[in-house]
Amino acid sequence: MTRPQEDILVRRGRREAAIAVGLWLVAMIYTIGYCYFNGYDREADSLSFVLWFPDWVFWGVIAPWGLCLLFSLVFAFRIMGDEPLGEEVDAYPDDESGLPGEVSDAP
Amino acid sequence: MPPEADAGISAGYGPIAMLLVMMAVSVWLGTQAQKAVERGGFMKGYFLGNRGLGAWALALTATVQSGGTFMGFPSLVYTHGWIVALWIASYMVVPITGFAVLGKRFAQLSRRTGAITVPDLFDARYGDQRVGIVASLAILAFMTFLMIAQFKAGALVMKLTWPEGLSLGESFLATTDPGGVDGRYLVGLAVFAITVVGYTLIGGFLASVWTDLFQSVLMLIGVVLLFMLVVPFASQNGMHTPTLEAVAATDNAYAFGPGYSPSGLAFLPLGVAISFFFIWPVGGIGSPAGMVRLMACNSTDTLRRSIVLLSFYNVLIYIPLIVICICGRALMPDVQTSDEIIPRLAIWAAPDFAGGSLVSGLILAAPFGAVMATVSTFLVVIASGVVRDVYQRFLRPNAGETEIRRLTHVVMVVLGVIGVVSNISPVEFLQKLVVFSASATASTFVAPALVLAYWRRATAVGSMAGMIGGAAAVLTLFTCGPLVEGKNLFDPYQLFGVDPVVWGLAASAVLCVVVSLVTSPPPEEHVSRLFDAVPPTSGAEGVPA
Repeated sequence: MTRPQEDILVRRGRREAAIAVGLWLVAMIYTIGYCYFNGYDREADSLSFVLWFPDWVFWGVIAPWGLCLLFSLVFAFRIMGDEPLGEEVDAYPDDESGLPGEVSDAP
Repeated sequence: MPPEADAGISAGYGPIAMLLVMMAVSVWLGTQAQKAVERGGFMKGYFLGNRGLGAWALALTATVQSGGTFMGFPSLVYTHGWIVALWIASYMVVPITGFAVLGKRFAQLSRRTGAITVPDLFDARYGDQRVGIVASLAILAFMTFLMIAQFKAGALVMKLTWPEGLSLGESFLATTDPGGVDGRYLVGLAVFAITVVGYTLIGGFLASVWTDLFQSVLMLIGVVLLFMLVVPFASQNGMHTPTLEAVAATDNAYAFGPGYSPSGLAFLPLGVAISFFFIWPVGGIGSPAGMVRLMACNSTDTLRRSIVLLSFYNVLIYIPLIVICICGRALMPDVQTSDEIIPRLAIWAAPDFAGGSLVSGLILAAPFGAVMATVSTFLVVIASGVVRDVYQRFLRPNAGETEIRRLTHVVMVVLGVIGVVSNISPVEFLQKLVVFSASATASTFVAPALVLAYWRRATAVGSMAGMIGGAAAVLTLFTCGPLVEGKNLFDPYQLFGVDPVVWGLAASAVLCVVVSLVTSPPPEEHVSRLFDAVPPTSGAEGVPA
């Protein structure tokens, strides 16, 4: 007997989780590496500023943060897919559950 | 130009008026939420909002903003300088890790199992109540602890906004010696507790979410206003002048890593910097309050849009706060209680023009709102843990809706009383408590949640071992800090220079995998129901919780 095919949401969920963890690893290595080698134990007279921020803060934190912002757009609109979440099992049959309320974002 | 920056603060009536307006709106939102809850069943409506959360509600309420965002974090920037930008830098990935790692699977699994709480989900995933018990105990312990810490921040804002002319009796309101009782603080504590417990009790999960959303928007407005008011006072040409003034008031390390530290101990050495890149993203993934909101989201489209919304929101909150607090150090170099830097800047920055007092009130509403939102969220999660996961599961499985509703209300009131009583002598180290709780919950839940969602071979015993091992590792290291090294409470022992969260995560992950592999695999039929595609003809036969 063959096993049923794994739900597409599970397979895509794994892939998207792996991409998210990969982004986190890349961001961590770059940000901590850059800041450690360029922002630790310096003298004040070596300080320069890029767009309001100390140079090491700008290139080590602000710039990658901006790239992550752009990547989040690509991830949300190009990489991450939509799948149905499925019907709900009613674990509270005596709870007089009616239709879900229209409660999306605001009262 | 405003008065002397580090002089005493005089709030006027504007700030207290704004806070009262905000409290009134929160209570109104609670009543609206109650109406929405009544459209469905009590359990799913009161504790999960009928699984109807949209993108705005999910994005701005599901991650790790808390009282720490507006009290503890600014205090760290004010104290240690630019290095705190690296301390918080992992927030750049929090929107993606927070929603993409577990979001879809938790939303799907909670529907397939009918789970309403996080312990429900663990229970149903493995068909073993013991996993649910362990999860319940961990949630109750760590989240109660963190919730109690938040009451102090709420009371502190109320105290600072108290108008000079408004008195309940000089002897009661006068600030006494450090060991005595501050009347304004106590009044603030009581008002804060009654408000937040009141609206949460009325509307449950939805009241928490809607007020959280409302308060998140206020936070954004508050930060933008404070940025526009403070930065021009500090400098006309960027951050060069305020940075050098702050360096002059401290020392060279204020502009660089590992940061300025009055005690002489390095604030953010390399190992701790790496650790904080774990703490915030995994803290977001592993937060039970965040997991519940993932279970309540209405579609995968909502998750995608939430990633984008939260990405923009984090940029607009955290980066301006760093700039504001660096300016704050230049403007007010000698604030003794650094937790008060944002309220003090807000009251100080806007007194000289018409409506300035109201503007400072609006800014102050941000930290107050952040704290209310956090406490409200925790009240719902903890109450659901007590009522659903303990009382209904083990003591009275056939309890009716009226009984459950009454007990829920009683639990919330008791939690409020505990929060007040615990803070009559204010807890110290707010931000350290936030870090401790985030570390403990992350170490307890992240690895078990990942294997729950994606690993078919995971077992109930493996999951329990992961939870217990992760929590034990973190608690041991936090205990060893004061005991072995003579550090302050909540200053952990950093094994090999690395924060406990990393060791906790590692211990939890190893135990989850190894113990799962050495125990009997779960029944394939049970796993298949949760992992495999549902045949079109079989409907939605699920696994009962």
